[in-house]
Amino acid sequence: MRDLKHLQYFEDLLQVANNELIAQAKAEGKVCIAYTCENVPEPLVNLPGTFGIRLHAPNTGSMDIATYYMTNLLCEPSRALLERAIEGGFNFADCVITPDGCTMMNRAVENMELLNTMGKDNPNFFHEYMEIAFKNTDSDVALSVLQCTNHILTPLKEKYGIDTSDAAIRAAVEKHNKLCRLVRAIGDYRKGDKPRITGYEFHVLCLATYVCPEDLVIEKLEETLKELKTRRPDAKQPWRARILLVGSEVDDSGFIKLIEEQGALVCCDRFCFGSYPGRVEIELNDEEDALTQVCRHYIRNCQCPRMMSMDKVYGRKQYVADLAKEYNADGIIYQQVKFCDPWAYERVLGSSMLQHDFGYPVLSVDRPYNIASSVGQMRTRVQAFVESIEIKKIQKGGAAE
Amino acid sequence: MKTVETVVNTRKRAGEQSPGKIYSDKLKVRRRREWRGVKDTFYDYTRWLYLMSVLGRFIMVPRNVKGFFRYRWMMSYLFVPHGMDKFTVGLRDEALRIAHTSFNFVIADVTQAIANCFRGDRRVGNDKAYSDKCVITDENSMVTFMMGFDKDKQVHTILREVPTMFASNIFHQFNVMHYLDIAQQYGISGDVCPMPEAEAGISIEDDFCVLGCCAVQNNTTCDGSLMGNGIIAKRLEREYGIPTFQLATPLRHKEPDVLEYAATEIKKAIAFVEEHTGEKWDWDVYFASAKRVNYATRCRIAQMEINSSPYPQFFGAAFSLYNDTNYMGNSGRDPRFVKIDRKLLQLAEKGYKNKRMYAREYRHRAIVWGVQPQYVIDMLYWMVQCWGVMPLTDMLSVINTEMIAEEDTPENREQAYRDMAMLNMEMIMRNHTHGGYKVLLDDLWELCEKMNADLVMMWEHMSCKALTGMHGMFEEQARERGIHIMWVSHDLCDPRVFTRSAIRDQVSNYMRTVMREEPLDPSLEHIPDDEAW
Amino acid sequence: MKKKLQKKILNALLSVLLKLALAGGIFFVVTFVIYFFNLDMKATSMLEPFLEKWYDKLERKQYI
Repeated sequence: MRDLKHLQYFEDLLQVANNELIAQAKAEGKVCIAYTCENVPEPLVNLPGTFGIRLHAPNTGSMDIATYYMTNLLCEPSRALLERAIEGGFNFADCVITPDGCTMMNRAVENMELLNTMGKDNPNFFHEYMEIAFKNTDSDVALSVLQCTNHILTPLKEKYGIDTSDAAIRAAVEKHNKLCRLVRAIGDYRKGDKPRITGYEFHVLCLATYVCPEDLVIEKLEETLKELKTRRPDAKQPWRARILLVGSEVDDSGFIKLIEEQGALVCCDRFCFGSYPGRVEIELNDEEDALTQVCRHYIRNCQCPRMMSMDKVYGRKQYVADLAKEYNADGIIYQQVKFCDPWAYERVLGSSMLQHDFGYPVLSVDRPYNIASSVGQMRTRVQAFVESIEIKKIQKGGAAE
Repeated sequence: MKTVETVVNTRKRAGEQSPGKIYSDKLKVRRRREWRGVKDTFYDYTRWLYLMSVLGRFIMVPRNVKGFFRYRWMMSYLFVPHGMDKFTVGLRDEALRIAHTSFNFVIADVTQAIANCFRGDRRVGNDKAYSDKCVITDENSMVTFMMGFDKDKQVHTILREVPTMFASNIFHQFNVMHYLDIAQQYGISGDVCPMPEAEAGISIEDDFCVLGCCAVQNNTTCDGSLMGNGIIAKRLEREYGIPTFQLATPLRHKEPDVLEYAATEIKKAIAFVEEHTGEKWDWDVYFASAKRVNYATRCRIAQMEINSSPYPQFFGAAFSLYNDTNYMGNSGRDPRFVKIDRKLLQLAEKGYKNKRMYAREYRHRAIVWGVQPQYVIDMLYWMVQCWGVMPLTDMLSVINTEMIAEEDTPENREQAYRDMAMLNMEMIMRNHTHGGYKVLLDDLWELCEKMNADLVMMWEHMSCKALTGMHGMFEEQARERGIHIMWVSHDLCDPRVFTRSAIRDQVSNYMRTVMREEPLDPSLEHIPDDEAW
Repeated sequence: MKKKLQKKILNALLSVLLKLALAGGIFFVVTFVIYFFNLDMKATSMLEPFLEKWYDKLERKQYI
């Protein structure tokens, strides 16, 4: 296939945490709200006059200083973020909103606060931590509304004079939905026998929507969608299997590339900061206030392993099975970043249930934050998995090309 | 750096002076028991007899024999007398009596818990009528939501994981390795906390008793603990048809804006128990329990005050395990704890009055922070006797000091849900490991000030991410305050990662190289007990 | 006659008490020896390998 026109542009945006679009939005006078967890309702950090940036630490190498503060037993993303913060890589942030989701990420941000890594020149700079819901009930929605009010909206209004009215939230949701529709439409080109976009390309585009100001990526995404409508797939497809990738956050597109180099198309993504459920539109009605509806959307759609009620525990596996069916996946890779506690358990239960209850071949792996440090091992695992899927197809009498 | 005055014991210890001599490198067990002088040896002997009678009465019941041969973890309870000996090395007078009073009661309580499990267990006693009135809860869970159910007549609370994993690991250090291997064989990573991992392993191995009409799970202490629940609940629900309720407990327990949610969750848990047991919440029972919770709180505060003096009395594993049993597993439901609380306080007051000391001298006053290892739970007694480092209190014993409403009025009935929610949120360990860095860092320094400590012994449970995530800040803030910080790494209940001697060596190395001191009792410095239970 | 009966009862009582004291003494000596020389735990340590084999042999329904 011909290269996507803007792929290089988006790839470049992902090379640094403080990318050029952040600088552009800041120059326009907007307030930058940094966050670290997918449980933060995005429209609330993309209100008029603000833009939300999900913190990431591309091209992470040494994490020595963060390792001193948090030991080498904490997950690499949390240490990578702390290291980057200490280096001054997140100085663009005007505040940090941190849900007490996974312990390690929470500790990373607490270290950032204690070490005074950000906001030195900004008297309005603040850190806020919030409780997030555990279950899918009305009282969890009420909790979420209260937390978002107390720890996002109120400080934004008080410190930066941001309009946090219902109308402002509705406007932010509308903008967010536009972005979601675009990403979903682009992602749909991974369906079918001859996909017009690879998993790697999609991941680059999707990740950019989290780490860049929403407004500033929409135009190029629209152009990319237009380009995909006429993009001609290769006559001979290189794919030996279609894979659904599930698990903890993937900030390194190189991981997806590595999988695809072994002939496995990543046809769908269900991981933290992927397109499912992060790029699913929020439906609003006029009867209820927007904030409650946004919070309900995040709770109902949340696939975070921290949601502990059994309807959510079983529901997460059903969600993966439904996606695998929709995207016609041959197999599923359950992955976790090393030392991630929530996914260490979810990976095991998920891979077992998807295999035994839903009949999918599953590869269950852990990996480093930056895949460059473990290319050989991961390649071997994926190669073997792809071969096993092919063998299964042959045994079933299917066509293994 | 901060220093404290050395307190010297003017009395000579009765009996033998070097208890390290009774250990053997050829045997798994000690050569003999300790000679403590006539009076204390006889007392210790009578408590041994009592323990034997508790175990003897237990094994006389046929279904308990059946259970013994069905469940691997039961083997640990053969070694209870050995476990008791670990808690009494070098102790005399009131200290010995405090250790026995508290720990013997804990053992009797655990024995009863096992007997209850076997009675209702579908594979052992299969007493269906009994089982239908049983509610299973987690090992690390507060049982406040059961405070209004009469424990003898209405509903039985079964903390199924306590005898299976938590207590059995105290008596047999290798006990949970088998279950960890099973969990890891099924793919759970080796770096998660071994406690919930072992519990998941027990469930995978089908080595839990199966009983109860329903189960209430809790997001107790950490992400691992929360996540392990899913694996256990799946088997309970899908294989054994036991419905489960997940009692969500907010993590940021110091924030007032989570309290209503936590109270609502308590109400839901109570409604769930009522629905499945067919029994009704009784406010008379609740407020009677609340009075006992307050009494236990007052006693604990008094014990801590004694420990703030130069002559601490009730500390270490006995203090921590007794608090654990009383505060979390009991939560005011059992009136027998009142009598024990009173007796323990009287003993401590007597010991304080008589200036009783646990060692020849106290060179340092230490706050023990972090999570203690299950398999070296007697470590603090060793530390005071070998090195003269007096552990004033441990993090797990620094729990709620607020009184809860105990009079039955319409307002207090609403307040009661908030009280239960508060206690639930502030359950042992999570009240410091979660809820923001202040409860982990600032609380420690305040305690150092309040109890006049010059040293922090920091248990670094290597799989506890909430604690290790603050490693550097502990170092920096201790340095700023001039407080010594002694890191002691372990892996909670997996002795393959750090053996007992490897753990003790960390203390010895620190004392020699940093403090430049020699042991008070050299016979204890190297104990050949890595292979012992 | 009455005195004789009283003496007989006293003797019987003494004999019971003596036997009880003897039994108590033997119980004390035996249990104290077991206690002091840790014989209970030494015996248990010999049981452990057999028990482990027993538990290893038990079939269980192992799954996640």
